[in-house]
Amino acid sequence: MNSVEGLVTQIQGLSSTASDVLSLHNVLKQADDSLHAESTRLLPFLDQLDPSKHSLGYLYFLEACTAGPVTTESASSFVLIIARFISSCAAEQIRLAPDKFISVCKRLKDQVLFLEEPLRAVAPMLAAIRKLQSSTENLTTLHPEFLLLCLLAKCYKTGLSILEEDIFEVDQPRDLYLYCYYGGMICIGKKYFRKALELLHNVVTAPMSTINAIAVEAYKKYILVSLIHHGQLSTSLPKYASTVAQRNLKSFCQPYVELANSYTNGKIADLEAYVQANMEKFGSDNNLGLVKQVVSSIYKRNIQRLTQTYLTLSLQDIANTVQLNSPKEAEMHVLQMIQDGEIYATINQKDGMVRFLEDPEQYKTCEMIERVDSSIQRLMTLSKKLTVLDELMSSDPMYLGKVGRERQRFDFDDFDSVPQRFNI
Amino acid sequence: MASSSSSGLTFKLHPLVIVNISDHYTRVKSQTNPPPLTSTSATVNGVEHQQQAPRVYGCVIGVQRGRTVEIFNNFELLYDPSTHSLDRPFLEKKQELYKKVFPHFYILGWYSTGSDAQESDMHIHKALMDINESPLYVLLNPTINPAQKDLPVTIYESELHVIDGIPQLIFVRSSYTIETVEAERISVDHVAHLKPSDGGSAATQLAAHLTGIHSAIKMLNSRIRVLHHYLVGMQKGDIPCENSLLRQVSSLLRRLPAIESEKFQDDFLMEYNDTLLITYLAMFTNCSSTMNELVDKFNTAYDRHSRRGGRTAFI
Repeated sequence: MNSVEGLVTQIQGLSSTASDVLSLHNVLKQADDSLHAESTRLLPFLDQLDPSKHSLGYLYFLEACTAGPVTTESASSFVLIIARFISSCAAEQIRLAPDKFISVCKRLKDQVLFLEEPLRAVAPMLAAIRKLQSSTENLTTLHPEFLLLCLLAKCYKTGLSILEEDIFEVDQPRDLYLYCYYGGMICIGKKYFRKALELLHNVVTAPMSTINAIAVEAYKKYILVSLIHHGQLSTSLPKYASTVAQRNLKSFCQPYVELANSYTNGKIADLEAYVQANMEKFGSDNNLGLVKQVVSSIYKRNIQRLTQTYLTLSLQDIANTVQLNSPKEAEMHVLQMIQDGEIYATINQKDGMVRFLEDPEQYKTCEMIERVDSSIQRLMTLSKKLTVLDELMSSDPMYLGKVGRERQRFDFDDFDSVPQRFNI
Repeated sequence: MASSSSSGLTFKLHPLVIVNISDHYTRVKSQTNPPPLTSTSATVNGVEHQQQAPRVYGCVIGVQRGRTVEIFNNFELLYDPSTHSLDRPFLEKKQELYKKVFPHFYILGWYSTGSDAQESDMHIHKALMDINESPLYVLLNPTINPAQKDLPVTIYESELHVIDGIPQLIFVRSSYTIETVEAERISVDHVAHLKPSDGGSAATQLAAHLTGIHSAIKMLNSRIRVLHHYLVGMQKGDIPCENSLLRQVSSLLRRLPAIESEKFQDDFLMEYNDTLLITYLAMFTNCSSTMNELVDKFNTAYDRHSRRGGRTAFI
């Protein structure tokens, strides 16, 4: 009891300047075990501390308090306390103990999931991310937790705001996989298939030394989204994907690959038969909704293929070629596609003819100038970052060691022997 | 050292000689970098270390027809610092070789680098007098002076002057002209276009052109700003109103924009967009190639199961 009170007074005293906070940090690190031992009685002491001024001390106390198992009564009170702490804590102080902060936030997530009210933690988690990040390009462990909460609470828009930022630094690879996977799912929910494809692509091609379940699930969704968005699936992964992924992913996702094959053949009846046959497999992966979207997108794909062959076509012919039931349905599909901007056409309702047009964009407007200009600026910053990375990689000893080994034994020009390895 | 020679000879110098001397000097200078703590034999080629500015030596050859002396070519020579003379057997051997290729060329003199002719150079000059009774001394000043517009090359002759009652040989400066053969003209032109004389960052013709336009627009902008400032002052009443000036400004303003029509806007925007798109495409290609290299390096370094490429030894 005495030690805890002593600790409280120390926290209150040493929380004013940066150097004091550092010494306080050392004190707290040593006192951590004793705090954990007294975890059940720490709750009243929390009221003596102010979360905005004594953030570090409050954090240690809070982490010790919540270390125990989650029960219903404690859960709701803790949720309030943690949420209030996150919104008022000082960012510099908690950055001194990031793992404690992360574990507190994870406990928050567990508790709201226990209470089945994920919505309560969405805003606090977003604030926590902003306080923990060293810059907007940094990916923390809290990002995937936040996205998971958004998914469960179905507030996709807040999740999307985080997804807009480009990531350049990652703390843990598992964070990246989960972040991109959940991000992909959120984008699928909002039907932003292009961004979903990009995020899922990141998971599938991320460097990995062994295959992991997140990548397998992501690859399944990747196949489906690629079919919906592009109408085709590239058969091999790009060369920057790890060899582990290139060799093994397809074997884990066999039914999906065959679905892609029958999709590209273009026959709707075959596709539907295949889907029916493998319904349980798709259902067990929770991908049934996506598969249904794939089936409905095949009509769109076929109509788009028609634009490449015909200039004008009657609605009846469209219905026949695409195997729709009536010209009315064909008209609805075409109208929807024109509205979404997927094809350019005019429907003449008098004689039921559809005329396919070219892309009317003339690239003459000022808005186009601004778009291209901003893209160029983005590319310039990206190019600078890439050059820096390239230089770093060229001087990396692992790279230099392997490159030395692969060189030819004899130089063509002067038959001097080339050194086999670089002694660094 | 008198200022002008009285021998009445006209000298014609070919650019090849100048480029050769400068190349010799640059090579030697870059090979002695960093300055050797253990002086190695890398500096064998006639170098004398004088505060980081090595001197190089060599012979100039050419043709003398009547009163015209034309210096066509040159070759390097070894300098012996102990005897302060050039390596004689080497010179004779080189002379023989050059005679075989260019039978008309004679040794006309020698060259060196430095900022001014020195007393010790007279020894070398006198030593060469048995090959050519009046040798030339070509001096190249390697220090780069951006303000200087002329070539830093001087040709000295030796003349016998009576100074303090003692006849002495001294160096006198002579004037010369540059004579070029077609091949030399092309190569000099080529080099001159690649590197701008101000040593600025513009590396290519396109960049130089655009820099010119940029500086012109900048100047226009600053002058209009001055006018604007003046007009604002006039409006506020600080400066007395001058109607003639106002008329001039208004006529200037009416000159631009030169065309104002929809067709012009259309075409202008289209061309602007085209240029932007080309730049975008160029940036893309640049970025993709960097990315490609990075990916290759990453795969070589970190991917455990990648194929160990590596060609086998070529025998």
